[in-house]
Amino acid sequence: MITELLAPAGNLEKAKIALIYGADAVYIGGKQFSLRARASNFDLEMIKELVDFAHSLNKKVYITMNIVFHDDDILGLDEYLLYLESIKVDAIICSSMIVIERAKILTNLEIHLSTQFSVTNSLLANYFYDEGIKRVVLARELSILEIEKVKEKSQADLEIFIHGGMCVSYSGRCTLSNYTVLRDANRGGCAHTCRWLYNLYEDKMLLSENYDFQMSSKDLQATDYVKDLLRLGVSSLKIEGRMKSIHYIATVVSAYRMLIDDYYNNSLRDMSFYQNEINKAENRQTSYGFFAGDTTIEQQLYNQRSEVPTKEFVGIVKDYDYESKLLFLEQRNYFTPGDILEVFTPDKNIIQFKVDKIFDEENNVLDAARHPLQTVVVKLPVSVPKYSIIRRVKDE
Amino acid sequence: MRVVARLKNLMEIEKLINLGVDVFLVDTPLAVKKINGELFTDLDEIFSHNKEVYLLLNKMIHETDLELLEMVLNKAKNDLIKGIVCGDLTVMVMAKKMGLNNKVIYQPGTMNTSSFDNEYFYKKAIKGITISKEITLEEITNIFKNKVTEISLIGHGYLDMFYSKRSLLSNYFVYKGIEHNNIKNNDLFRLKEEMRPDSFYPIFEDDGGTHIFRDKALESFNEMNVLKMYLDDFFVERMFIDDQEYYDSLLAYQDSSYVPKFLEKYKAKYNKGFYYQYTEKLKGELNDN
Repeated sequence: MITELLAPAGNLEKAKIALIYGADAVYIGGKQFSLRARASNFDLEMIKELVDFAHSLNKKVYITMNIVFHDDDILGLDEYLLYLESIKVDAIICSSMIVIERAKILTNLEIHLSTQFSVTNSLLANYFYDEGIKRVVLARELSILEIEKVKEKSQADLEIFIHGGMCVSYSGRCTLSNYTVLRDANRGGCAHTCRWLYNLYEDKMLLSENYDFQMSSKDLQATDYVKDLLRLGVSSLKIEGRMKSIHYIATVVSAYRMLIDDYYNNSLRDMSFYQNEINKAENRQTSYGFFAGDTTIEQQLYNQRSEVPTKEFVGIVKDYDYESKLLFLEQRNYFTPGDILEVFTPDKNIIQFKVDKIFDEENNVLDAARHPLQTVVVKLPVSVPKYSIIRRVKDE
Repeated sequence: MRVVARLKNLMEIEKLINLGVDVFLVDTPLAVKKINGELFTDLDEIFSHNKEVYLLLNKMIHETDLELLEMVLNKAKNDLIKGIVCGDLTVMVMAKKMGLNNKVIYQPGTMNTSSFDNEYFYKKAIKGITISKEITLEEITNIFKNKVTEISLIGHGYLDMFYSKRSLLSNYFVYKGIEHNNIKNNDLFRLKEEMRPDSFYPIFEDDGGTHIFRDKALESFNEMNVLKMYLDDFFVERMFIDDQEYYDSLLAYQDSSYVPKFLEKYKAKYNKGFYYQYTEKLKGELNDN
């Protein structure tokens, strides 16, 4: 069995980028019933458009419906499930029993159990398999050895997180956000209270300094464990981040695509190659989570904010004119004539060039590309495909 | 409605009985946030007082815990064990294999939020479910209206709001280079958030990981008239509460005339949790699941 690479997408463009750059499937949330409803721009018609697009590439779309349902959340559930089946989505990802049961009664939708349920052993994975769940997304608290043991005994397909943000709590078992800011963490309202800064006391004695007690986790980056997961034959490797940029999605998906393909082609490169590729878009510190066992300070962030803004992504290719050799790109970050940029294509080619002149669409010369989402034009002698990513070459 | 109390030692059994306790909740080797893990070896002594006993298995069950789980559940075959209180559904699955599913009380803390959950677990023929901690009294009463299996509630005490496998306190002391030889099971640690200077959240590390609790304990005195009509079990939590305060709370639930005195003495420590507080949804970001 070939292991699937599963990528996140917060909108239609990101989903297409993920699929074009090598994901076998994408998962998205609709405007209802998803923990990341805020991250979603997918109305029902867009979901259908994406499903049709993915199927035209022989790829898949999964819909997350992973909120923990209260009685007043149930309105519209049946209609939504029936619609998803009618447009042939490939699976739903859920954690509430009511979604599982209604989907089983009303539809033939494939059902995946969300990591919100924090399944940590084979006995529970098999229970859900017997309940009609095709795939279980394992808790991120499992080591590679535990995953191996679960895989040996599990009848359910297993999906494993390999990259992205991590809840510090067992997923689905946290109400910090509910209590501190009255936002329901298990219904899409997580305020990341676990990433705030705290002082630590023992009885009345202050033990920390200047609010340097943090629970924040470094993001997951599991390149070192992917070959083990592929050897085990897990069904899916999952990237987190429906809120991430298209640059991030294209870069991270592409790096893991290369890693997986190289494994199957017996041509694995040194892991630093894949890690360097990921680092071109990664704006957070990363570590390997629980893969090596219980976490240490290596997996934690202390006394610092978790995210560092990156300016490396400067645009995305909208079109290329062969005759004039002009590249039309949508600007995402500031760049000027003289900058060294590289085009990163969906088929993994990299073309470096020095920016000569920058024009707007009316052919006016610009001193800089300074407006986000503005279409600007630069000269490039080589043809590059639509959706290619343009990024700044970092100084070594 | 049975009042369920966490048992701390054998000497207090008669006192708790006199305070109206119907069921003793006893820690097992698969409990986290323990009050006294050694009582699991004293079950015969506890049985001799002719009160119901529930076992607490609220740890997340990993593959390596399965053997121990079977061993602990073997103890639960004793007819005097009336309940198996668990936080991980794995316990229900194993209990069913052993013919013990009718003793299981599923108490995950966050997942039992709708009437349908009660219906689902009724079909699984378990003893009952504990309603989640973060829902309103209105939502609770709505679940009551559709009740088909036993329903319980943790209605008093400091409720946890976070359960991590990470040893967050131990790791912090390593990061700081501080030698501290009393980290695990130490109930004196508190967190204060930079924007909430008056709130101190208990944080507790044990072998199961790290747990964070609300800064105020929950009390349900005024709500008891509604709750007792439908609840089968009312759990009285006792972490971070000293023994006298715990006994006073049990007395107040047993005899409502004592409630004003209790509140006069302890009111500053308590609030109403989510009984009258709706939480917003759909404003979050980041970590996908």
